[in-house]
Amino acid sequence: MSFDAPLPPYSTTPSAAHLSSTLYDLLLIELPPLCTSLSPDPSDLEAVYHRLSSIGHRVGLGLSEKFSRDRPRMVDTLEVIKFVCKELWGICWGKMVDGLKTNHRGTYVVTDNRFKVFERMSTERGVGVVDQAQYLWFPCGIIRGALANLGIEATVHAETTEMPIAVFKIETVQAKPPPL
Amino acid sequence: MSSFYFVILGTKDNPLYEAEFGTFKQGGDGVSRFREEQRHMNQFIAHASLDIVEEIQWNNQSMYLKVVDKFYGVLVSCFLTAGNIKFLLLHEVKSEDAIRNFFTDVYDLYTKTLMNPFYSVNQTITSPIFDQRVKQVAKKYL
Repeated sequence: MSFDAPLPPYSTTPSAAHLSSTLYDLLLIELPPLCTSLSPDPSDLEAVYHRLSSIGHRVGLGLSEKFSRDRPRMVDTLEVIKFVCKELWGICWGKMVDGLKTNHRGTYVVTDNRFKVFERMSTERGVGVVDQAQYLWFPCGIIRGALANLGIEATVHAETTEMPIAVFKIETVQAKPPPL
Repeated sequence: MSSFYFVILGTKDNPLYEAEFGTFKQGGDGVSRFREEQRHMNQFIAHASLDIVEEIQWNNQSMYLKVVDKFYGVLVSCFLTAGNIKFLLLHEVKSEDAIRNFFTDVYDLYTKTLMNPFYSVNQTITSPIFDQRVKQVAKKYL
């Protein structure tokens, strides 16, 4: 049973509770198969993607609001992306991203070389890239929800070339935050 | 007797929650004592100050923007969350620290409301418990 101590300042809020990280991992692992079985047509990947992405969106909205308190205001898109990459990643998966690239025209590529969701997974050789992709849909939703709450409309795609690396491509609709 | 008008505005300048109360200090009974003709002006005053809020929010790094506007003796203070939700308080006396504490506590209540899976951003807050808690916070600080 693994147990990661919560990082400060999250452990000091009155509502912080210690949670076994094994249970958290198991919950994330069970989420895609659950959504597959909940949809009326299990082979319809679009519906499963939509469901997972919406759940992630809602979670991202809440997380970004809750953990952005007392931070200096993020005035441009790059600062918001950096918040997502460092703080949000740290909250969800206990580490920061390993690489961020941008083309300065609204596209950002986020690379995580040891993505927590994949760390303890093993795959048979050559089987089921589709299955692995399902586990990335929920994190995509989280990123999309967090960005949306902070004022940035974006689409997020994820792919994995080899196991535990995950690459997220964030395409923002506008280069600057939209007028309020 | 000083009175306060508090409103939470969503990202599209839509009101999510509003409340009026009077001061609880120095024997005040907590009932707002706005003059009748001024009561309906409160909403206009709050709305008019939004332009100023939007202007200064890019220069100011903190969430609490202190007093942003003044209208014939009524001061408007603002607190801005990262998700661009605005908390506005119309008041007559200047008391930065008390108002800052009030805003911080209401922000905690708002975040808890957001965590509710049945509540989505920009939806009006109708929970009577939220209302009751806001009034308790007002009693504590104002």
